[in-house]
Amino acid sequence: MRGISKRFDTTQALEDVSLSLYPGEIHALLGENGAGKSTLIKIMTGVHPPDRGEIRLDEKPISLLNPIQAQTHGIAAIYQEPMVFPDLTVAENIFLTHRTRSPFVNWGRLYRDAEDILKQLDVKLDVRQPARGLTLAAQQTVEIAKAISLQVRVLIMDEPTASLSAHEVRQLFKLANTLRKQGVAILFISHRMEEVFEIADRVTVFRDGKWISTKPRVEVTPDGAIRDMVGREIHDLFAKTETARGETLLSVKNLGKERTFQGITFDVHRGEVVGLAGLVGARRTDVGLALFGVEPADVGEVVFAGKPVRITAPQQAMKIGIAYASEDRRALGLVMPMSVTENISLPMLREYLYGLGLINFGAEKKTAMQFRERLAIRTQTVDVPVAKLSGGNQQKVMLSKWLNVKPQLLILDEPTRGIDVGAKAEVHAMINELAEQGLGIILISSDMPEVMGMSDRIVVMREGRQMGIFTRAEATQETILAAAMGQG
Amino acid sequence: MARVIQRLKSWEGMLLILLIGVIAFNAWQSPVYLSAQNFVNLFQLSIEKIIVALVMTFVIINGEIDLSVASMMGLAACMLAFLYKAGQPMVLAIVVALFIGLIGGAFNGFWVARAGLPSLAVTLATLIMFRGLARVLLEDRSIGDFPQWFDDLGQQTVIGPFTLSFLIFAVGLVVAIVVLHYTGFGRYVRVIGNSKDVARYSGVQVPRVKMILYSASGLVAALGGVLLAARLGAVRGSTAEGFELDIITIVLLGGVSIFGGTGSMFGVLLSILLILNLRNGMGLLNISGNAQTGVIGALLILSVLVPNIASRLRQSFRTRQAAQAPPPPAVGKAVSAE
Repeated sequence: MRGISKRFDTTQALEDVSLSLYPGEIHALLGENGAGKSTLIKIMTGVHPPDRGEIRLDEKPISLLNPIQAQTHGIAAIYQEPMVFPDLTVAENIFLTHRTRSPFVNWGRLYRDAEDILKQLDVKLDVRQPARGLTLAAQQTVEIAKAISLQVRVLIMDEPTASLSAHEVRQLFKLANTLRKQGVAILFISHRMEEVFEIADRVTVFRDGKWISTKPRVEVTPDGAIRDMVGREIHDLFAKTETARGETLLSVKNLGKERTFQGITFDVHRGEVVGLAGLVGARRTDVGLALFGVEPADVGEVVFAGKPVRITAPQQAMKIGIAYASEDRRALGLVMPMSVTENISLPMLREYLYGLGLINFGAEKKTAMQFRERLAIRTQTVDVPVAKLSGGNQQKVMLSKWLNVKPQLLILDEPTRGIDVGAKAEVHAMINELAEQGLGIILISSDMPEVMGMSDRIVVMREGRQMGIFTRAEATQETILAAAMGQG
Repeated sequence: MARVIQRLKSWEGMLLILLIGVIAFNAWQSPVYLSAQNFVNLFQLSIEKIIVALVMTFVIINGEIDLSVASMMGLAACMLAFLYKAGQPMVLAIVVALFIGLIGGAFNGFWVARAGLPSLAVTLATLIMFRGLARVLLEDRSIGDFPQWFDDLGQQTVIGPFTLSFLIFAVGLVVAIVVLHYTGFGRYVRVIGNSKDVARYSGVQVPRVKMILYSASGLVAALGGVLLAARLGAVRGSTAEGFELDIITIVLLGGVSIFGGTGSMFGVLLSILLILNLRNGMGLLNISGNAQTGVIGALLILSVLVPNIASRLRQSFRTRQAAQAPPPPAVGKAVSAE
C-alpha cells in the first residue's frame, strides 16, 4: 500500500501512509486508538475507498471498491468478536460466502471440505455442530477456516486475542504460524505488547494517522515501540502509589452462586486496590455483578462498612455505597446516543429532581462540567452524544457516572480495555487518587501487568473458584498465571 | 439563522414545512378553512385516536408497542353500554370502564415488564382478547340511547368552541410534553428505550417504568373509548376496530423511532396536525377515504425512507467530491518499508 490517505469530515484518519506485507510474514501494526489502524483495515477490506494512494497485490495495482472485491483478491479479516451465524453449522459458516452454481447443497461435500480445511489447520471441531455454543476461540477458528476456504493471501487479525484465555492465545498463534508457513501474509493488530513481540516478524507503528516506523522485531524494544506510539516517554505505566490501608470496608465470606462461582472469600480495606485476576471464564465479572446486585449471589456472607448486608438490586448497592463500572461500556455502561450529561447523572437522577419529578437541568449540567474538568474528558460540550467521543473519553464518562454516586467501594471491570495508552495512564492515576481518598477498589482486569502494578493484593480465580490471594510482594507473573491455570 | 436552517433540516422541520404547505393549500381552496370552528371540527373526528397517540408515544419511545389500545377502547365502550343497559347509573358505568382499562393495561404490563415477554406478542394476544370480551358483552347488538348529558359530553362545546374531548387532549398534550422532556420519568423512558441493560445496570427500575406505561396506556385507551361512545351516541362490538394502526401511524410519522429511544412530543403534535389537515384537504378535493388512507401510508413509508436516503446521498456526494479533488504534491514523509 502506498501513500494511502483517508479523510472523514474534518478528521484526517490516514495521511500518506505506506505499508508492505510479504508472503509468509506476520507483520504487527501498533498504534494508540485513533492512530488509523481501523481505517487501514477498512481500506484493505474494501469497506471504505481510500481518498488517494494505491494498493498493489503481486506488484499489480488493484482496486478495492467493496468487500466482495477484497474477498476475490484473497484479503480477509478476523476481529475480536467473531462474526459467525450462531444457528448455522461450522461447515455452513465456513462456506457461507461461496457461491455454488447449483441451487442445491451437496451436504456430503460441504462437510468433507470443511473437515479438510480444519485438518489443514490441525484443529478438531465437529463441522456439523451449530456455531452457537462454540467458545470465542473456536468461533475465531471457524473464521480463519472461512478465510482459508477463500484462498486467503492477506489475513488481517484485528485484536484477535482480546477475549481469549492464555491457552487459546497459544492455539491461535499456532494457527497463525501454520498460515505463515503456507505463505500467507498476516497483519496482526494487538494492544498486548508481549504478544506482538512473541509472534511478529516485523513491527510497524502508526501515530495520529501517520506512518512512524517499520522495523524487524529484533530491533524493536517495548519501550521503544511505546515511545513511537505516544511520541513521548511514559514512566511507571502501571504503578500504584502506596496508600495507608484503612479499616475493613468489605468482607466477603464463602460467596457463591449456583453453577457460576463458589467459595469466594476476601476483604477490601479502605484505600486498598484488590485485583481480581484470572483467565477468561474465571467468572470474575460474575463476582462483581453479585456484589452490585445485578445477578445476586445465592449463598455467602457480605459485610459492608461493618454491617452484614444482602445485596439483591443495583439501586440497593448504590444506596449503601457500591458502584460497578461494567467491562462492556457500549452495551452495559453507557447510553450511546444520549449526551454526556444525561449519562453521568443517570444513576443519581433522583438527586437532580425538583418536586413533581422535574429535572434540574442546570445542576445536572454543572455536575457533568465538573467531571469533564476533573477527568479531562475531551469534548467540546457535555451535550454531545457519548457515541461521538473516543473510547478513552467514553471510559472517562463511565467513570464519572459512577464516581458521581460517591461510592465507598468501586468495582472496576476491565477499566482500560480497548483504550489508548495515554487514556490508560490517566485511568490509573484516577485509581490512585481514589484509593488515596479512602475508597476501596476492586479491579477486575485481564491485563496482567495492570493487575500486578495497580493492586495491593490480588485474588486469583479459575473457573468460578478462588485459587489464592497474593500480596504485591508475593505476586509474580509466574505465580499468578500458575494459579489462574490451576497449577499453583 | 444557521440554527433555524439546522432545525428545518430535521424531521420536525420537514413536517412543519409540509404542514404549512397543506394548510396554505386548504385555505386557498376554502375561505372558511382558517376559522376556529373548522379547526375544532378537524380535531373532533379523530380526537380519541390522538389522545391515545400521546401515551403510545411513550410506549414506543420506551422500545415497546401496545397493539391492544383499540380493542381496549372498544371494550371500555362496550362495558359502559352493557352496564348502562343493565340498569346501572351512567357514572358508575364510566368508572368501571376506566377501571377495566387500568386493569387491562396492567395485565399487559405484567407480561411485558415482569415476565419479560415480547410486547408485540403480548399485546397482539390482548388485542384479540379485549375485542373478544367486547363482542361477548354486546353480542351483535348496537346500544345507544345514553342519557342526554352523556351525549352532550361528546358533542357540546365547553369553553368557547372547544369540546370536552378537545380540552382533555390539550391538557394531555401539555402533560405529555412536560413528562417526556422535563421529568426524571421521561428520562428513564428514553434511557430504557435506548438500552434496557444500561438502565438496569444503572439502578433504574425498568419493570416499574414499563408497568406504569402500560397501565397508563390501558387507562387512557379506556378514556378514549368512553369519549368515543359519548361522541357517537351508540356502541357496538366492533367500535374502534382498527384504530391501533392509525394511532401507531401518527406516532411513527412524528419521527419516533420504532426501535425506541428517540422521538419528541413536538414531532408527534406536528404529525397529528399534518394528518388531520391532509385528510381534510383531500376531503375538500373529493378524494375518497380509502385513497386518503393510501396517501397517509405513502407518507409513512417516506418517513422511514427519507432519512435513510438522505444520509446515503450525502455519503456518496462526499465520496465523489473527495475523488475529484486534485492529488496533492508528493510528500517526502511517505517512506515505504522496503
